[in-house]
Amino acid sequence: MNAKTIALRLGALALIAAGFALIARAQDGLPLPSPVEKELAARATDVTEVTLDKNMLGFAAKFLNDKDEDEAGARKLISGLQGIYVREYEFDKEGQYSMDDVAKLRAYFETPEWSPIVHEHERKSGETTDVLIKLVNGETRGMFVLAAEPKELTIVLILGPIHPEDLSKLGGLGGLGALGNLPGVHQAPQDGKDKTGKPGDKKGDDE
Amino acid sequence: MHDYEDQFEQDLQQALERRPAPPGLKAKIMAARWQRRKDARHSHSLLWMRLAASLLIAALIGGGVRWDYERIQQRRRGEEARQQVLTALRITGHALNLVQERLAAHNSGNGD
Repeated sequence: MNAKTIALRLGALALIAAGFALIARAQDGLPLPSPVEKELAARATDVTEVTLDKNMLGFAAKFLNDKDEDEAGARKLISGLQGIYVREYEFDKEGQYSMDDVAKLRAYFETPEWSPIVHEHERKSGETTDVLIKLVNGETRGMFVLAAEPKELTIVLILGPIHPEDLSKLGGLGGLGALGNLPGVHQAPQDGKDKTGKPGDKKGDDE
Repeated sequence: MHDYEDQFEQDLQQALERRPAPPGLKAKIMAARWQRRKDARHSHSLLWMRLAASLLIAALIGGGVRWDYERIQQRRRGEEARQQVLTALRITGHALNLVQERLAAHNSGNGD
């Protein structure tokens, strides 16, 4: 066995190991960053990237303060989640991203198991809003939000059971309670009635 | 002169004359020898004990410092994770508010 053969075998082993690492990551449920994100990050003036898998969420939950109402609510909210994937790109001027970039992002995250509940596009401003939810046996098991403003692009992917009644307690965290008002997001039945809307029944599209 | 030499020889003979050892001398010598060995062994083991104790104290101090460092690091990582969760939820809230506003604007636009 010559040195070249050994090098080739080691290379193959490294590739296999990398493959296993990718599979392990994919099994976490959280996606790998989309290729568009790198380009967006390069153009953005301010980038916020948060990727927390189930383990990290569990770890973070230990450090959330139960005495603080918002943090206690956040703790309850993240306790059953599989992962959180958030990207926020802020640009110094308009036109730093194209509709093609937005379409690529949507296509990257939009898999068949996701149901679109909101898709809105304002032709004048070019602002786009997409909300998709993942329903399993009638329960919300994931939420994807893509919000494009002239100088800001936000991607939010939350995997796991989402209870709007928990979110409504998070008043101090930027109005997370708004999720409960979105169409298609299932709330816990109250007084024996399910007060949720059906996915897509308020789908807005200005196009 | 001759008498003096005789006397000297006699004294020398007397001095060199083989005498039996006093009773218990051997036992005393053996006891002293055993004691010396015991003392040497004791001081040797004392040295090792001191060394072991020093090592143990050093290990305890090192372990304590390490534990404290790990605890601080763990807390730092936990605080970072906590901040990340809160940041993620704030951004999510902001995005959802935006969705709400747009839906509201859309609905009011339809109403008109």
